Amino acid sequence: MAEVLIKARGIVKDFGETVKTRVLFGIDLEVRAGEFASLIGASGSGKSTLLNIIGGLDRPTAGQVIIDGTDLGSLDDDGLALFRNQTMGFIFQSHFLLPQFTVLENVLIPYLIYAGRATPAAEKRALELLDRVGLNHRRDQRANAISGGEQQRAAIARALINQPQMILADEPTGNLDTSNTEKVFAMLREINLDLGASFIMVTHDRSLAARTDRVLEMSDGMII
Amino acid sequence: MKSSFWFEISLARRFLEENKAQTMLIVLGIAIGVAVMVFLSALIDGLQANLIQKTVGRSAHLVVGSADYGAANASRARAEHRVLLQDNTQQNVAPMVEWRNVSAALAADSRIETVLPVVEGSGLIRRGQADCAIVLRGFDLQRGDRIYDLSNSIIAGSRNAPDGAVLIGKDLAEDLGITAGDPIQLELSGREALSILVDGVFDLGMSAANQRWLVMDQRQAAALLGTGDRITSIEIQVKQVFEAEKLAREWETHLPGYEIESWQESNASMLSALSSQSSSSYTIQFFVLLAVTLGVASVLAISAVQKSKQIGILKAMGIRTSSVARVFVFQGMTLGLLGILLGFGLGLAMSKAFIIFARQDYTLLMKPLTSAIIILTTMVAATLSAYLPARKVAQINPIEVIRNG
Ligand SMILES: Nc1ncnc2c1ncn2[C@@H]1O[C@H](COP(=O)(O)OP(=O)(O)O)[C@@H](O)[C@H]1O
Ligand SMILES: [Mg+2]
Repeated sequence: MAEVLIKARGIVKDFGETVKTRVLFGIDLEVRAGEFASLIGASGSGKSTLLNIIGGLDRPTAGQVIIDGTDLGSLDDDGLALFRNQTMGFIFQSHFLLPQFTVLENVLIPYLIYAGRATPAAEKRALELLDRVGLNHRRDQRANAISGGEQQRAAIARALINQPQMILADEPTGNLDTSNTEKVFAMLREINLDLGASFIMVTHDRSLAARTDRVLEMSDGMII
Repeated sequence: MKSSFWFEISLARRFLEENKAQTMLIVLGIAIGVAVMVFLSALIDGLQANLIQKTVGRSAHLVVGSADYGAANASRARAEHRVLLQDNTQQNVAPMVEWRNVSAALAADSRIETVLPVVEGSGLIRRGQADCAIVLRGFDLQRGDRIYDLSNSIIAGSRNAPDGAVLIGKDLAEDLGITAGDPIQLELSGREALSILVDGVFDLGMSAANQRWLVMDQRQAAALLGTGDRITSIEIQVKQVFEAEKLAREWETHLPGYEIESWQESNASMLSALSSQSSSSYTIQFFVLLAVTLGVASVLAISAVQKSKQIGILKAMGIRTSSVARVFVFQGMTLGLLGILLGFGLGLAMSKAFIIFARQDYTLLMKPLTSAIIILTTMVAATLSAYLPARKVAQINPIEVIRNG
């Protein structure tokens, strides 16, 4: 068995300042390196909140997230930003590409954030990723000039540019039709197998979840 | 330099390019502000430099007189176009007996250019019914050229002024209706009237001199005034005109019994008028800058808020808050730089056009220090007006963007 990459212990999350609403009630979770886990559950059950905490986008009210031995709680905001940049890839329901940049440039952005300028090697990797998601022919087009399915695939390539150990995907197919959903999921699975990155994918689609290594189900802020 | 610098620069560029109309509008706003500042500075500094040049050009920067005669009296009278109608005998008592030592000491100061001993007395020229009040001034004509450039100021006759002849001012010659070669009846206070020949007529470009002065060699003037070996004042030109006042005070402590008046003292009212002119120009410039800053800040504030979604997503991917802030700083600096370049071109063109169309006869003066101040304050203003409204946006929590799609 591969070692544990993502470890969450006793995650509690409250929202609100005066009236506190508890959204997560002490969640424990482990995901192994290379594992593809899916997270399902009713809307409002806390899936996104949990994913954001695991991804270091939000901090838990109580509990610990340890990624590859690093306790996220020990990092300051800049440290956390760098850690996200180097270790994680994010895919959201919306693609969030920057319209001022071309498809190729968008893929390179997480790399540019820490390296400043693209090296030939980085550019080559970006082109390979565009190839992988089938967007080579779109690389010089503005990000807002391509279709929704293409935009989501560009966002996948972007999530991979820094060779992250883990990908967090929050309803990545939520905005896509069936055929695009199938395409994108197949792509994620292939990446998972080829590159060995761990996945946590939030989805509403039980049949899609059934095709992952492990299904985690949430209900009212707890994993059942 | 942090490696992320290059990405911040390219992000700033893309943000500016994205909304070209807005960018051009801001640059134009800054440029107009800078142009007004450049226009005012070049014009006012040029005008003032011209006035000061006229004031200190062909005149003494320092006048040394004996304390009881009063250098202040002498030079102020000259500046105010007044003639001292004192009794010459009283003036003659002024004990500038040691003037040779004093002159030599002054001449040894490397900051002093020319030292000119002058003997001076007042009198009248009678011509028919009219009396013209005059000042008879005697000095070494050769040396006097270094201050007054008489040689090149003669408009009729010659500058030689041999014994028994004088040089007179152009307005005085006109008033008397005479020219070079004519005799005049000179009546010095307390002395017999005498006839003397006009050898040349000069135009020194100063009405006081042109209306009142009678110039001749020092020894000859001393003989006419009966002052013997004494003189009235020592006139000085210094190398750095704005050091004159400092030199006056310094030398006064070395020369007890003497009073030294600088051109700044004798032109105090003009200088204070110039300085209030400058202050009002600075005030205008300050408010222009303030208006431009507020305008630019409000446009950039809106533009920053419009970008909050993109900034949120960049932060999710790991960009630091300080990096985002710098993106806006670079935008401000770029806008400032473009505005300054355009503004200087515009401002200089405007002032050139003004000189030509308003038929002004002075040259524009853009001092390096003034330019530096305009550039610096504009850059700071542009940078702050980009940075301050963007601070909040830079701190945006990426989850806010992600949650709201
Ligand atoms: N920033 C927030 N402030 C207040 N309540 C929030 C915030 N984020 C999420 N919630 C609440 O937490 C609960 C879980 O939300 P979420 O994690 O988005 O659920 P899911 O992704 O499973 O639909 C919801 O009731 C939601 O309203
Ligand atoms: Mg959700």
